[in-house]
Amino acid sequence: MPAAYFLPRAELDRLFEALAVDGRRIIGPTIADGAVVYDELDSPAGLPHGWMADTAPGSYRLRSTGGERAFDYVVALTSWKRFTHPSLVPLTRSRRDGDQIVVEPIREDAPKLAFVGVRACELAALNIQERAMRAGPAGDPDHAARRDAALIVAVECAAATSTCFCTSMASGPEVDGGADLMLSELDDGFVVRVGSEAGAGVVGPLGLRVASPDAVDRAGTQVAAVRAAIGDPVPGDGLPERLRAALDHPHWAQVAERCLACANCTLVCPTCFCTSVGVASDLDGLDATTERSWDSCFSLGFGRVAGDANFRPKVRDRYRQWLTHKFSTWWDQFGSSGCVGCGRCIAWCPVGIDVRAELVAIAPATAPAGPIPWPLSPAEGRAPAALATAAPARHVIATVRSVMPETVDSATLRLVTTDEALLGARPGQFVMVEQPAFATPPISISRIRPDGLDLTIRSAGAATAVLTGLAAGAQVALRGPLGRGWPVEAAIGRDVVIVAGGIGLAPLRPVIEAVLAERPRFGAVRLYLGARTPHDRLFVAEMGEIAGRADVEVAEIVDRAGPEWLGRVGIVTQLFDQAKWDGSRATAFVCGPERMMQATVATLKGRGVDPAAMWLTLERNMACGVGTCGHCQLGPFFVCRDGPVFSVAELGTAFAREGL
Amino acid sequence: METQAPITPGRRGPRAGTPQRPRIGIVKFASCDGCQLTLLDLEDELLAIAARVDLVEFAEATSHRSAGPFDVLFVEGSISTPEQAEDIARLRAVSHRLVTIGACATAGGIQAIRNWFDHEEVRAVVYPQPGYVDSLAQARPVADFVAVDAELRGCPISPAQLREFLVALVTGRRPQLPDEAVCLECKRRGVVCVAVAQGIPCLGPVTRTGCGALCPAYGRGCYGCFGPRESANTASLAKWLSDDRSASDVGRLFAGFTAWSPPFRAMIDAHGGPPGQVIPVKETNDA
Repeated sequence: MPAAYFLPRAELDRLFEALAVDGRRIIGPTIADGAVVYDELDSPAGLPHGWMADTAPGSYRLRSTGGERAFDYVVALTSWKRFTHPSLVPLTRSRRDGDQIVVEPIREDAPKLAFVGVRACELAALNIQERAMRAGPAGDPDHAARRDAALIVAVECAAATSTCFCTSMASGPEVDGGADLMLSELDDGFVVRVGSEAGAGVVGPLGLRVASPDAVDRAGTQVAAVRAAIGDPVPGDGLPERLRAALDHPHWAQVAERCLACANCTLVCPTCFCTSVGVASDLDGLDATTERSWDSCFSLGFGRVAGDANFRPKVRDRYRQWLTHKFSTWWDQFGSSGCVGCGRCIAWCPVGIDVRAELVAIAPATAPAGPIPWPLSPAEGRAPAALATAAPARHVIATVRSVMPETVDSATLRLVTTDEALLGARPGQFVMVEQPAFATPPISISRIRPDGLDLTIRSAGAATAVLTGLAAGAQVALRGPLGRGWPVEAAIGRDVVIVAGGIGLAPLRPVIEAVLAERPRFGAVRLYLGARTPHDRLFVAEMGEIAGRADVEVAEIVDRAGPEWLGRVGIVTQLFDQAKWDGSRATAFVCGPERMMQATVATLKGRGVDPAAMWLTLERNMACGVGTCGHCQLGPFFVCRDGPVFSVAELGTAFAREGL
Repeated sequence: METQAPITPGRRGPRAGTPQRPRIGIVKFASCDGCQLTLLDLEDELLAIAARVDLVEFAEATSHRSAGPFDVLFVEGSISTPEQAEDIARLRAVSHRLVTIGACATAGGIQAIRNWFDHEEVRAVVYPQPGYVDSLAQARPVADFVAVDAELRGCPISPAQLREFLVALVTGRRPQLPDEAVCLECKRRGVVCVAVAQGIPCLGPVTRTGCGALCPAYGRGCYGCFGPRESANTASLAKWLSDDRSASDVGRLFAGFTAWSPPFRAMIDAHGGPPGQVIPVKETNDA
């Protein structure tokens, strides 16, 4: 096969016809409402012939070049993710009929599309987003199907605009493979390179002549000029490390004064993949659908968790999340930068914030590299072993055998299932619990039985209120088990310290049961239980029984109490801050409100417990459970996928850092 | 500017009906009725909704009147007269949940533009015999007078959001009423940004979504009828817009249906007040 063919300009329609065989639809650049967008094209006539886009921070204007070229416009407003990761994707359909429920995934056939005009930066972006969407335990099936069904015709840039910086991100402007066909546009036609068998199948029947050395030369000169024009605006070497050192830089607050947190940058970004799930139902809540739509870390709601707490209340926090994710923690998660330098976030920012300038202000090339705040990155082999058992799109219907009220606002559902994956859950794992017409909360497993699971649920919102109000015989749909559990085996031969705050005892109970089941294999076992009031204590009878054992030390405390409470009053750390035991021999398991865990970690460190032997489970907005919605990110981690159980050493300075 | 009237403590009325069939009322104060008519716009499901709630007060649809109590009382309109101020306090006490609907009830509405002018002067210009009219010096949102449990924004409110609220009410779930910017809806729909591509001033980045990005989809800038979104950084947007327009032009952008909402009001104040004199001169409408 020759290195390159030549397609005369007048014959571009032949290429379009060849692409359109088998009903494949062509998506390419066209002009709509003052901008180039990607949309369905019937013929090359719809291409933006003779148009160039002048871009600047906060500005995009089309300008006539007076020429005939179709691809001078550089990049369109829309990115190709509109077609590989659509803004709205239906997820499940559910029905309720009395106690019985059905939840089934919705699968849409991926359309057969040809993407014409994909630039080097956009090719890189498609691959980056694909890595992110395929990174979960089973990957996102919708994205994978759409990506696989797309045929890609790349076009090498012949011009640059002022917002381009692909050269700094090592993503362009040259197209060096990775597409089915690769075009370079010259005045008289196109140099066509073939990148795949599918691409060869398209151009083969056209009988194109081999490109002349002169045409190939001109194409090379052209793209070299583009590279020279762009220069190297954001020196990328060491950028991830420099950003790590700048997490507390004062400039974050300065950019937040200008930032509208309007989310435009993230939605035009070709790699941003975050979504939220919405529920729609009929009037009675009997027939419901869930669908996911594009969302953004810039919206306040994105960091919200049950009870309306919010992990990123300030715009400063949200801008830092976006920028550090894109340029630093993306490396930790997916082994590459999350930015390709297409410049969309610069041009389409309504107030013209230029990410290149912000990067230079926050992490200039002369700035020192920061110590790695999170010593073990997920990319370095920390993937949770238990994930292999979970097929994220699979819903298992489980039946409620009984409901045990625990406190005034919490109850334990005893669920029956024969599903092997669920029965094989590890202590500390969680399940997503779906009910028709309600949000799907993540619930940690409070007991793993031979015939099912116990879920202890606090009524913190509408969905959990419905769950705690279920009666025996009702059904729920479960996805899981998800996440990495407690490493109980790491405590074998060591002392065990368990510290629980309120409902935090629920995910710890399987640890307690696992340790007591093989009691001789562990050293001293100490349980420290805290609660808001005596009425908020969980599993009171069981804990009382354990306290009666000679081989376990149990201590309890409540924040406040009436005269009927004869026990201690105060915070949970008071139970062991004066203790005499040697923390260096202990492995600790901690769960409770974030502030309680911070205090506990500090006190345990004081007792000599090694941060690598201190495990805690974090609360974040785990909306998908498999690391594709982006909500639960904490520094480099997806809490749902990489946690929710972490050691304090793993979290490093990500633990207890405000606004992360 | 006068001090605000004291807020009546959010004394919540008792539950009135059963959770399965809540007693609902719709009342209005200073407003055009357009928001409550949105309920009638839910044509396809109107009868089904009516079968699931007990609609005891809705002057646009039934002559049957009720003094309460209400499980949910939808309130349209701003509070513009002393009588209305008394009424809303009374209604709050007989309503388990009180939900304001529309720009007038949630932000004061277009009539709140008069809040920037001398009350007596406005009355004298509007009414031939102002002595017959008893009005407050300012038209203000309901939340300035009583505690409000939820808001449906917009001028008028969105039928989809009203449906969502009603479905959530009867099924017992939390209504999904996003507080994010209009921009997200624009981008999800694939609408080309009118601000960036055409230089049209647009309040979308600081305005709450819910309209479906209606105006930008028709090539117009958002004029903020849903009022400020969460974290509305109006100061930054105003600064950016000031680069190529006068201060009064910038201030005027915020002086629409939700002008009296604090983030928009601050921009109007910072740019020389709302446009026009007591009666704004009608300008050439080239839209």
